[in-house]
Amino acid sequence: SGELYCSLPNPRNVHFESINMKNVLHWSAPEGTGDGVLYKVKYSVYGVGKWIRKPECRNINRTWCDLSSETSDYEEQYYASVKAFLNGMCSDWMETTRFNPLTDTKIDPPMISISSTEKSISIILTAPEKWNRSPEGESVSLLQVYPGLQYNVSVLNKKTKKRWFFSVSNNTLVVPWLEPGTAYCVSAQIHVTTPLLHSGFSKEYCIATLKDKTA
Amino acid sequence: DALLPAPQNISIVSINMKHFLTWSPVIVQGETVRYSVEFQGEYEREYANESWIPICECSLITATVCNITEDISATVAYNLRVRADGGARRSEWGTLKGFFNRITTSLTPPLMKVIADGYHLLVELEDMGPAFQFCVLYWKKGQENRMQQKVVKEVSSVVHLDTMEAGPDYCVKAQTYVEAINRSSSFSQTQCVRAQGSRSVWLV
Amino acid sequence: TAGNTIFHFGPCRISMSMTEVRAGFTAIKANIQARDPIRTLSILSHPHSLHKVKSSDRCCIAHHLFNFYVDKVFKHCKTEDSYVNRKISSIANSFLSMKRKLGQCHEQNKCMCGQESAEKFKQILANYKGLNVTSAAIKSLGELDILLDWME
Repeated sequence: SGELYCSLPNPRNVHFESINMKNVLHWSAPEGTGDGVLYKVKYSVYGVGKWIRKPECRNINRTWCDLSSETSDYEEQYYASVKAFLNGMCSDWMETTRFNPLTDTKIDPPMISISSTEKSISIILTAPEKWNRSPEGESVSLLQVYPGLQYNVSVLNKKTKKRWFFSVSNNTLVVPWLEPGTAYCVSAQIHVTTPLLHSGFSKEYCIATLKDKTA
Repeated sequence: DALLPAPQNISIVSINMKHFLTWSPVIVQGETVRYSVEFQGEYEREYANESWIPICECSLITATVCNITEDISATVAYNLRVRADGGARRSEWGTLKGFFNRITTSLTPPLMKVIADGYHLLVELEDMGPAFQFCVLYWKKGQENRMQQKVVKEVSSVVHLDTMEAGPDYCVKAQTYVEAINRSSSFSQTQCVRAQGSRSVWLV
Repeated sequence: TAGNTIFHFGPCRISMSMTEVRAGFTAIKANIQARDPIRTLSILSHPHSLHKVKSSDRCCIAHHLFNFYVDKVFKHCKTEDSYVNRKISSIANSFLSMKRKLGQCHEQNKCMCGQESAEKFKQILANYKGLNVTSAAIKSLGELDILLDWME
């Protein structure tokens, strides 16, 4: 059918929010419109000639649409667009800027598991996984997407309040020669040099070294 | 005389990848003289009709120094020039004699503090900016032939080097490395510490 | 040497620092891409993707692309924005210094051009010539991250 006369104000701030390549389109409702606004969404692969409608985001009243599946090939770049409808009126299509999943995603901190002996703590770091189409599907670690991925690890001695930093490439770190019966708190961050990406530091995981049996 | 004299003694001060253009002031009685700076990279000379690019942070400034670090961001030969404006009068461009390539920047050894915390050897390094990495060498005193190396890419307060045996002194020295120009500074002074239980002991 | 990024293009090994080019491009990416309204055409990524280039052809394609950007792209990207122009100059001068390094490999016959890379580069030039010079140059500059992602 022919396009409706589009005098409705446009959706605002149409943009991708991406974490670990889970790519979700977000926008704000048109100015001055109350409830009842519906939206539809389309997307396109940059350099390819057609817009593709997203059926699951047709006539929706929420202001987000998960396009992770459609934008999962991170060797491509994408645009997405949103149109609003209300009482027979519609807005213009409002587009995102060009979205590059590889450089425009945010990365979660690594997962940490720690164990301790009398005089050491062992830290195992796990990089988050790339968004996955289905839980049964083969999972891909961000380590495979960003081969230069490294971890910055912070170890805090709760007794002396001294904090040390380690930079490690592999995913395990053993800190030997510690004081028995002492609490240590560990947090870690992911650091990718090319493209330049940082995760935040994870929350702190604390553990105590075992008490000295001979003492 | 319609023309002001062109700025003289134009020179570059470049230390640790921070580059400054300086020149002598143009003195005009009763006038405030202002200066404008432009740069030209090798690309502009060879592919863009020898065009010049103004540095807006140094347009019509009264200071006789301009921080050109942001614009000298490739390892090629740059030309730089300065012009003076006073009242209704303007000078010719004064141009830096010869080119400037950041590969000639002078690299100073990093400030470093070595810490022994129990049996752990740690180092605190000065944050010199994103262009800098650090090559840290450490060894047991007397075993200079068995030096170990750690490259520190990101300076975040106290960096853990290694664990120490109780007793011997451990010595550390560091140099900066700038990937963009593939050059290193000379080494810092060596600092030695010793692990003794959990008490830190300084030995220089 | 410690920390320098060594790019392996077949037998050709080159140490290049891409960090500054990345930073320079990131600073102007939104501005430059906003000047390119054409969504349906790409210079570098369609119809053939750089990511599909055989490793033996990588050096030749990189050599051609650096020449392409230095000879045909940057000079036609002058804008009214002084900040953007300064960043373009920074990228252009970095590309010039990298083009020379790749050129050395080419002269030492470590950068052989196969059929595929010749076809690929011909397609890139065809895409480029499909637009007027300024639009093609701005679009090519806006696709710099496609080249950087492929190289890294």
